[in-house]
Amino acid sequence: MSETPALKTEELLTRALAGDAAAFAMLVRAQQRSVYSLALRMLSDRQKAEDLAQEVFLQLHRNLASVESGEHLQFWLRKVTVNRSIDRLRREPRFEALPLEAADSVACEAQDADPLLLRRLNSLMKQLPAAPRAVVLLRYQEDLDPTQIARILSMSVNTVKSHLKRSLSLLRERLGETARSST
Amino acid sequence: MNTLSKRTLPTLVAMLALLARIAVAAPPAPLKLPDFDALAAKAAQSVNITLDSNLLGLAAGFLDSSKPEDAAAKELVAGLRGVYVRSYTFDKDFVYAAADLDAVRKQLSAPGWQRLVGVHSGKEHANVDIYVSIEQGRANGLTIISSEPRQFTIVNIVGSIDLQKLHRLEGKFGIPKLQLEENK
Amino acid sequence: MSNDLEDSLRAALRPVDPGEKFTAGVMARIADESRRTMRAPRPHTTALRWTSVALAVSLVIGILVARELQLRRTQRGLEARAELLQALKLTGEKLDIAYRVVNDEEHAEFTKDSGV
Repeated sequence: MSETPALKTEELLTRALAGDAAAFAMLVRAQQRSVYSLALRMLSDRQKAEDLAQEVFLQLHRNLASVESGEHLQFWLRKVTVNRSIDRLRREPRFEALPLEAADSVACEAQDADPLLLRRLNSLMKQLPAAPRAVVLLRYQEDLDPTQIARILSMSVNTVKSHLKRSLSLLRERLGETARSST
Repeated sequence: MNTLSKRTLPTLVAMLALLARIAVAAPPAPLKLPDFDALAAKAAQSVNITLDSNLLGLAAGFLDSSKPEDAAAKELVAGLRGVYVRSYTFDKDFVYAAADLDAVRKQLSAPGWQRLVGVHSGKEHANVDIYVSIEQGRANGLTIISSEPRQFTIVNIVGSIDLQKLHRLEGKFGIPKLQLEENK
Repeated sequence: MSNDLEDSLRAALRPVDPGEKFTAGVMARIADESRRTMRAPRPHTTALRWTSVALAVSLVIGILVARELQLRRTQRGLEARAELLQALKLTGEKLDIAYRVVNDEEHAEFTKDSGV
């Protein structure tokens, strides 16, 4: 998902670790799309998502020395973002309720499909519990396979597959209900 | 006061030796020595020593056993509970009155204390009285009152004062050989 | 149907860029945090430093007090030793007078009151 080639990312990491603020800003610019989107769709609140995403990058800045490579950077950012989001949802369950306008605006980003369907899917995502929601996001937003998702979420591959299967089934079912009610 | 003849000397010395061998009973309380501040102000030289058991122990810790004088003192001080000395030397005769010592002599007339010997030395114009404290037949205190025209001294030693050891201190502190009989 | 749903999900969950302001916000927070870190050491670092200083000061004071007490004790001990030796010397002098009188009956008189 990163727009920065792996080699360049590692070079930026080295420079950022040496105290180059511009290099770190470039790293943020390259990774913020993924981090922010994960937070937004987990929390369903733009302001909270932006705040959480910034905290993730602050944490990254403090832990730059522990990041070994560009690939490790992406793994680290996804893991920290999802875990922080899940923690926030557990502490503040009201985040489970997705404001309508937030769902609309998130869906508007996609322009090559039925806007109503995309909006409905985004809205249905909020009905998924935190862990399955994270699994779906990592699978379809970040385009990761079940093995990679299992590593990030510290769960077994079978559990990831199970969450995916149930979540798709639930979404399909809800979409069908919507279609039936609209006809 | 009886004047003793030469024949009585062995008796006195024998008694001293006997006292030295007697086990010591609980010692008497230290004498209440009067406040001699007024006399101290007139004195050319004054000695005021108060060594209770704690200070005696502390002093003993600083005695160097390798020195004969210190070693002898260390041995002597082992059984003592207190050493109190008041001594005043004046520039003129009889600045002090004999009555100044009455308060001490009165305490020595109490039961337990006995006057062992009193001497007058014409040479030094000195009167020396030696008292011992006897408790259940045991000696556990020694008091010396010495009065001279220009000096008086009170020594009060509480505890087991071993006269045999004093005897062995001859030459170390100017203490004379008392010719005590040795234990048989 | 399944592939359609998955494609739709990929479309619906396309990443959203928070914009340049987000990057600026992150960098501003990092700069702010760096300033605060430079201005005030972390509490535990401060506490540790003060604890170390307090321990060091206590240790030095303890050593000085112990040394002073030892010096005073030594001084008092030496004074007590001198007083003891002086007391024994005075005792010896007075006993010496008694001894000489007792041993020189021609020049002295002595009395014996004790019945010991």
